Amino acid sequence: MKHVYADNNATTAVAPEVVEAMLPYLTTAFHNPSSMYELARGPSDAIAAARRVIGEMLGGVLEQELIFTSCGTESNNAALRGAARANPGRRHIITTAVEHPAVLEVCKAMVREGFEVDFVPVDTQGRIDLGAYVRALRPGSTLIVSVMHANNETGVVFPVAELARIAKETDPAILVHTDATQTVGKLPIDLNAAYQHVDLLSFSGHKLHAPKGVGVLFQRRGSRVSPYMIGGHQERGLRAGTENVAGIVALGKACELAVAAYADEARVQGLRDRLERELLAAIPYTHVNGAEAERLPNTLNVAFHFVEGESILFELDRLGICASSGSACTSGSLEPSHVLMAMKVPHTAAHGSIRLSLSRYTTVEDVDHVVAVLPDIIARLRRISPYWDAAANGPRADGPEIHG
Amino acid sequence: MAWNYSDKTKQLFMDAVQGKPGSHLGEVEDPDGLGEHGSIACGDALRFTFRVRKHPSDPLQDVITQARYLTFGCTSAIAASEALCMLIEQGEVTPLQALEVTNDDIVQFLEGLPDQKIHCSVMGAEALAAAVFNWAQHRGVDLEALGVDILPEETEEGRLVCKCFGLTEPYLLRKIKELGLKSIAELTAATKAGGACMTCHHQPGGLQDLLNQVWGIGGGEPTPAFDPDAPILPAPPAAELSPFQFMKKVEQVLDSYVRPMLQADGGDLEIIDIKDLTVYVRLAGACSSCMGASQTLKLLVERSLKEQVDERARVIAV
Repeated sequence: MKHVYADNNATTAVAPEVVEAMLPYLTTAFHNPSSMYELARGPSDAIAAARRVIGEMLGGVLEQELIFTSCGTESNNAALRGAARANPGRRHIITTAVEHPAVLEVCKAMVREGFEVDFVPVDTQGRIDLGAYVRALRPGSTLIVSVMHANNETGVVFPVAELARIAKETDPAILVHTDATQTVGKLPIDLNAAYQHVDLLSFSGHKLHAPKGVGVLFQRRGSRVSPYMIGGHQERGLRAGTENVAGIVALGKACELAVAAYADEARVQGLRDRLERELLAAIPYTHVNGAEAERLPNTLNVAFHFVEGESILFELDRLGICASSGSACTSGSLEPSHVLMAMKVPHTAAHGSIRLSLSRYTTVEDVDHVVAVLPDIIARLRRISPYWDAAANGPRADGPEIHG
Repeated sequence: MAWNYSDKTKQLFMDAVQGKPGSHLGEVEDPDGLGEHGSIACGDALRFTFRVRKHPSDPLQDVITQARYLTFGCTSAIAASEALCMLIEQGEVTPLQALEVTNDDIVQFLEGLPDQKIHCSVMGAEALAAAVFNWAQHRGVDLEALGVDILPEETEEGRLVCKCFGLTEPYLLRKIKELGLKSIAELTAATKAGGACMTCHHQPGGLQDLLNQVWGIGGGEPTPAFDPDAPILPAPPAAELSPFQFMKKVEQVLDSYVRPMLQADGGDLEIIDIKDLTVYVRLAGACSSCMGASQTLKLLVERSLKEQVDERARVIAV
């Protein structure tokens, strides 16, 4: 059976070159980089080299501005908690209604601890409400602005550079954090030019073809942020714990490959656009979530009205296709995706939304396979749906009540 | 999350989706009984219909010969619907006997369901009850006189407890008793109540109170409700100048001087917010697409405001 992996916003395959680069640090060069003997120099130098590559990718940031962590979630926790600890006089946070749980849940926990948080809404295309953002800023009391660079479910890109400038012009002491997990390696980010007002940036290795278990927190020199994990002197005391040498080396290699493949993003976007066009043409009552917004080149979040996402995924899985869904039934909670709800996607469509996310390893055959099987899956599921009139090939007027 | 369904559940789902002969997908034409449960907003809905072999004189001896469903929902919702129809058809039962099929029977037939999917089996039992109620109306059977207590959900009007899923107090009290639900977690798994925003868990008259009312257990720990939609309004800025006067003067200067100039070029300007002495403006129209415009405008507007309103005024382009 043909297998198609179309869930690259969840995680990615580790690039073969990356595996090769990291292997020595799991075998012969296993030594603790903090040790004094000569053999520890290899791992120690390898970490420094990875830091240089990543620093260059982000626009030539200083090596001491990059802190290696275990994942994007850790970086986000460290940014928000570390900012709060270092600035006890500020108790107000601004974020968006559509953040990843790694930011959203931290903010909700901080509300319970007495912080005030504004969750800035988005419009029906998933774009941030700029007016609401500006009105939320409180000079003198806002601690931090934390806005994701691109949304993991819809791929909608937020104008983070602009938002950061507005925050800094309002009050230079407001810290600006962005969760760039979905964009690093896909979009160029220059932290010394367009993104010069961003103080903190998080990302994770396994979204760009490095293995799981390694992440980065960029922390601009001079930012008032306290260390999160206390222990040894590693990462200049900002993040204690023996370094994940193989993971860090792997991330360095993955970033090098990603920069070399920036040009390939146009091809990936071509594939995404082909997938989008073909599905919309083949399946009636279908729309793209965030269609009018600027989106990541690899992400397609498509809503098939009157069917349920989990059933679609189950059928895709059976046919060898890995995708994901914002449907209630797949989330563990009973509510459809908070992102689609914030975009006011109608329930008739939100439950039937699935996300297909591609990578530079995706081929045109992969896309064509999805296009070949999906219309039939949707047609068969609609035949089961009480909201669908198979004879008329459209929604039925007397289906069960649609409230909410 | 991997699929943790039983083989039976997966098989029933696949048979239905592939339209395998013998599956019960579909709808009985001119049905003798029709019941619906759920709604698309809640993530699943079931339309259940059946036909009976009518007894010439005694409707109570009608026998269900055909049962069909249309389901909007996840894998287990579709499998549970299939299970319901199979259970009913295989027994050659009367509609009243069919009522003895419980959600537990459906779970057993499916060889188990994950906890968070129990509501799929409850949905089947509810749609069945509604269909039997509908049959009774068609056939002139007085259920109340027979001591049969079925209340289709729509007749159970009452105070709305779970707003997310539209569940009322009488419905939830009935389900707590019928299914022996002892905790909020069990109640959520069976009915979805409280499964979304969770506001109703501990509020007065909420899920814990209903559980306490039925089982007489002591009060639960109240937790503060969290509403991400509730705006936290910024405190009014404390400017030396009256904020109202400052705002009026800013508007006046922009309207009489800056905006006419921009409008002449097909552009415009909008005040987004004023905080203290900081004015946030957005360029509109032809100006908004010009890359250099925003900083030029910032300087122009700022100078006008400094000269004519307050020398400490600042402008931020949005």
